[in-house]
Order: sequence, then C-alpha cells, then structure tokens
Amino acid sequence: MRFNEKELVHLSRQPSERAAELGMRGPKRGDVVKKRLVKLVVNFLFYFRTDEEEPIGALLLEQCRVEREDSHTFSIAFLDEAERKYLFECDTEEQCGEWIDSIIQASYEFMRKNLVFYRTEIHRLTGKDPLEQYGISDEARFQVNSLQLTSRDTL
Amino acid sequence: MKLNERSVAHYATCDSPPDKTGFLFKKGERNTAYHRRWFVLKGNMLFYFEERESREPIGVIVLEGCTVELCESSEEFAFAVKFDCAKARTYKMSAENQVGMESWVKALSRASFDYMRLVVKELEKQLEEIQEAGVCGMAVAGGTPCKSKSNRRNQVVRSRSGASSSSSSSSSSSLSSGAPPQYSQKNLQDEMQNNAGSSKENGVAWSKVPVTLANGYSEVASSSVPWDGSAGTGPWSVTGGGVDGVRPPPVPPRRRGASLESPVSPGTGCFSKLHDWYGREVEELRVEWLQNQPVN
Repeated sequence: MRFNEKELVHLSRQPSERAAELGMRGPKRGDVVKKRLVKLVVNFLFYFRTDEEEPIGALLLEQCRVEREDSHTFSIAFLDEAERKYLFECDTEEQCGEWIDSIIQASYEFMRKNLVFYRTEIHRLTGKDPLEQYGISDEARFQVNSLQLTSRDTL
Repeated sequence: MKLNERSVAHYATCDSPPDKTGFLFKKGERNTAYHRRWFVLKGNMLFYFEERESREPIGVIVLEGCTVELCESSEEFAFAVKFDCAKARTYKMSAENQVGMESWVKALSRASFDYMRLVVKELEKQLEEIQEAGVCGMAVAGGTPCKSKSNRRNQVVRSRSGASSSSSSSSSSSLSSGAPPQYSQKNLQDEMQNNAGSSKENGVAWSKVPVTLANGYSEVASSSVPWDGSAGTGPWSVTGGGVDGVRPPPVPPRRRGASLESPVSPGTGCFSKLHDWYGREVEELRVEWLQNQPVN
C-alpha cells in the first residue's frame, strides 16, 4: 500500500505530545528489546534509533489496544492481529502509566467520542447545539448517532 | 520508513464510519493521466481504492499538515492537496461537479487531528463553563450573572463571525500559498496561560474524572470499542439521549504553562480564529472558482 512517506517523516519532526527513550520490542517471534527514541505525534507513534534524524518506523494508533503488561511495561496490539504485540519498557511505573494514557487519547476515534460526549452533554444542559455557531453541525465527523452517512450516501 | 501497513489498511476497511467517501479523479504520480478512484476519508487519513468494491486500498495520503487549494488544471473541478515540506508531492484531484469539489475541499481541509483536537478542547471548555455557571447560579440569589469568562469569549466569537462574513464577499484574493493569517503567538500563549490558570484555581466542586485509569482499562480502551456504541463498555456511548449519570471520558490533561505545541497545520490555539480561517478559506475558494468560470 502506498503512502506519502516524505510527509510522514516531516510529521515525525513536529512537536510531540510525548517523547522518550524506551526499550522497544517488535511483535515477531525472535524480536529482542532495543533502545529506541519513541515519539508520539498526533495519532502516530514514531520510533527512531537514538540520535538518528529519520524514524525507522511509524505506527498509526487507530484500532489498537493498549495494555499494561507489568509495572514498567505496556503493549500495543492492533485489532486485526491482536496476538502480535509491540512491547515498550519504561524507566518507571509512573512513566509507563503516562504513556498508556497518552496513547489511548492519541487516536482520532477517541477524540471523536469525546466530542460526541461533550456535544451531547452541552445540548442536554442548554438545549443548544454547541457546533451550530461555527456552522459545522452537519459535518459527518461530528455526528452523534451511529447512523453515519454510509458510503452510498456521500458524493 | 516502516509503517504498520496491514493495520492501516484494516482501518480503511473496518466498520468505523468514514467521514466522507466518493469517486474522485486522481492524477498519477509519474504520468499526467487522471485515474478514477474510490476515496475513503477517515480521520486524517485519505485512502484510495481502485474500485469501490476493492478489499484493500491502493494507497493512503496522511493529511496531517496539508493545505487544500483550487488548482489550475485542464480538468474541471480540480483541487490540490499540498504539504509544507521539502520535495513534498502535490496530490492533484478533481471531482465530478462543483458541489462534489466544494464538499471534498471542505472535508479535507478540516481532516487534521489538530483541528479535531481544537474542537474537542473548545467544547470541553464550554461544558466546564456551563457547569461553573450552574453552580454559581445556585449560590447567587436574584439571578445575578456569575462572573465568568464565557460572556467575553462569546462576544469575541460573534464579532469575528460577523467580520469574516462581510469581508468574504469582497475578497478576491486567492489562497494559493495557503499561508494563514499571522496570529500573534504571544496572544495565543496568554490565552493558554489564562485558561491553564483558571482551571487550576477552579474551586468549584465539579467531579473531574481522574485521568489515570485503573487496571483492566484495556477492556474499555476506547480505540477498540465498536463504533455503534452498543457494546456499552464506553461510558460515553449515546443511546437516545440518556446520558444522565454518565462518566465523562478521560480528558487530556491541561497543559500547565504556555507552551502550545504548534500544530502542523495553521498554527493557532484559538478555536474561533482557526475556524474562521477555515471558513474563509472555503469562502475564498468559492469566490475564486465563480470568478474563473467562463462566461457562457
């Protein structure tokens, strides 16, 4: 599958939500823990060899599950291949917890759910749709109910 | 650079609802021919398939940090997705009609993660203010309005909307460079400071859900909750408006201090300003297109 690699590399250089050196282990059998600079930018997790400019790789953090494996370790697995886990070893328990929180909140889908919640709550409390003043009430990405526009409906 | 391609492709075709789908013509990378492809927009990812029924996308365009513009082209209803990085490729596309073009341009220019984050923050702020006002209203007799920032903010928003709608009709400048208005970084930082400060000082007993999550969180990891919300694990699943007693989702921690990580796309931390900018962008595109129409 093609993707715009240059732009993604450029994205990896942008200010991050969180970045640290962690021990990272890939999902394949036989993969070992390696020290990596791990950087969270929007809904991507980039990982670099320490002191290298260009990332080795990127993980899109949608449709994934983040789990605490032990006090200092968390894992990321993607729903389409749930047994394959990427492991990350942190320095402290606290750091591990912070990474887990950040990654969970890093998905676009998670933000969308937040938005739907706030929009609904505000509407419930005030009777008004908070998005109306911005003229974006009808945008598909902000819709409250699960009856989103299906593929057939959109232009 | 590696990417978790299999999982990304899965995201394209899984049952999370897309933000927009449709046919577009896309200019090939090397040759100049336009190919008709089926496009699926999900979040900040624009996937394209050979056919509507294809199981897997041919490719994906990560939209974070892009700008969308009308472009000069032999094709009608053409627009381009551009990036602000060296040697970036410009993705030229065209829609089948005017309505389709406008609709796609609007959808793509608001597809960034940062835009979504801004909207969420704005609503989060609004909800807080409503909650505060609710508590104040109970404590103060006679209905004297509670001192809050909301009035000032609302006024700012309204006057801005007014300004932008009156200027757009006379504006004929094309948005070719995509350079956003230069908002003073200092003002934005001040605003962030104020917000951070007020949330710290907020003595109102509004039960904020702690950000750290207990063990077993993986069970309710929102990324894995089916979209239709019927799974019930997400406390924020909406079923017919019955959200009473529902725990709000964990909120991203407020940044202390003023360091506003600059978003990749138009750099502004103020939602109403950013939103006006997007609105103006679309308006200008529309005006420009109308002006470029051949006289019949």
